[in-house]
Amino acid sequence: MRTCLIIDDSRIIRKVARRIVEGLGYEVDEAADGAEALAWCASVMPDLILLDWNMPVMDGLSFLKQLRAQPGGDAPKVLFCTIETDAPRIAEALAAGADEYVMKPFDGEILESKLAEVGMA
Amino acid sequence: MKPQEFEHLQGLLASRAGFHLSRDRLFLVEHRLAPLARREGFGSVEQLLQALREGPVGELAWAAIEAMLTTETWFHRDRAPFATFRDEVLPAIARVRPGGRVRILSAGCATGQEPYSLAMAALETGVSAEIVAFDLSTRTLEKARSGLYTQFEIQRGLPTRQLLRWFDNEEDMWRPKPQLRGAVRFERANLLDDPVAGAPFDVVFCRYVLTDFDPARRPRLLDVLGRTLADDGCLFLGLNETPADAAGDFRAVSGRRGLYVKTPGAVRRAA
Repeated sequence: MRTCLIIDDSRIIRKVARRIVEGLGYEVDEAADGAEALAWCASVMPDLILLDWNMPVMDGLSFLKQLRAQPGGDAPKVLFCTIETDAPRIAEALAAGADEYVMKPFDGEILESKLAEVGMA
Repeated sequence: MKPQEFEHLQGLLASRAGFHLSRDRLFLVEHRLAPLARREGFGSVEQLLQALREGPVGELAWAAIEAMLTTETWFHRDRAPFATFRDEVLPAIARVRPGGRVRILSAGCATGQEPYSLAMAALETGVSAEIVAFDLSTRTLEKARSGLYTQFEIQRGLPTRQLLRWFDNEEDMWRPKPQLRGAVRFERANLLDDPVAGAPFDVVFCRYVLTDFDPARRPRLLDVLGRTLADDGCLFLGLNETPADAAGDFRAVSGRRGLYVKTPGAVRRAA
């Protein structure tokens, strides 16, 4: 089964996102910040990551940069899912190695269309 | 709602717009016409429908027709047909046209996501294209022309890299950059009118129009589409749509769902 790690400090967002990606046939794990997520990825690299930007301890952008520098860290498809909507910020996320970018709030259809974009629907 | 009023509205939509208002959409009538009834000073949708039945088919009737039409659309709907268009159809037709110029029609473009998707493909592949987009509804055309999309609309089917390349952020909304906006010409047109202005077109996208079309008028629509399309052109329909009522004028292109070309018989008949 394909695996997905949802990284977000909001339990509610994690729950909503979990329901959508589970519906697409993913086995889901959750992390509440970037540091927790990095520890997770060091032991099990997921196929897909949904990543929030602003989080305590370690934010999404720092996580992404460190993930991509890790051995095997270029494998997971990473979807940034955040409330940041400024074009320069979006470009920064893509430059740091995000495969796609989702602006919150989003719905199931948007997430599915973004996953299809990176070949993970 | 009285049955005769529903039937009158049904008849109006079918005869003027070719739109089939099925009984299971009865609930939509109240929902879609309530704002119009309020705006026009009617006490209820019931009263509006009565006025429609008693009056001539004027502005009020057209406003009601427009309000009932299906406008749901998104960027690169179903994905594959747009990849086929960009990677196969567009370069193939450009090769055999004078100056490499391809003429494209988005028939039933609603709020414009389809013609803008086609325009991005042409601009990105460097193919010279003239893109015309038709819709019956002045209200959706207004939105299409402005190109202003909400965050939900802009994210449905549009890859982020294309978003950044072709759209500007205006507060909570997104608007096409001038080059993209200038690449599409929007016009109000009725697909039941004949002949279609500007025909023939090399590529016609007419997706999810047949689905909502009055079955009795489908042959006519397909006939119009046949005469709108160049003999060596490509017709894109919705994935679950077929030109079954077209008297054998089109054949499906195998392995490319929703893509149709003219049969030799249809080309001979037209000559």
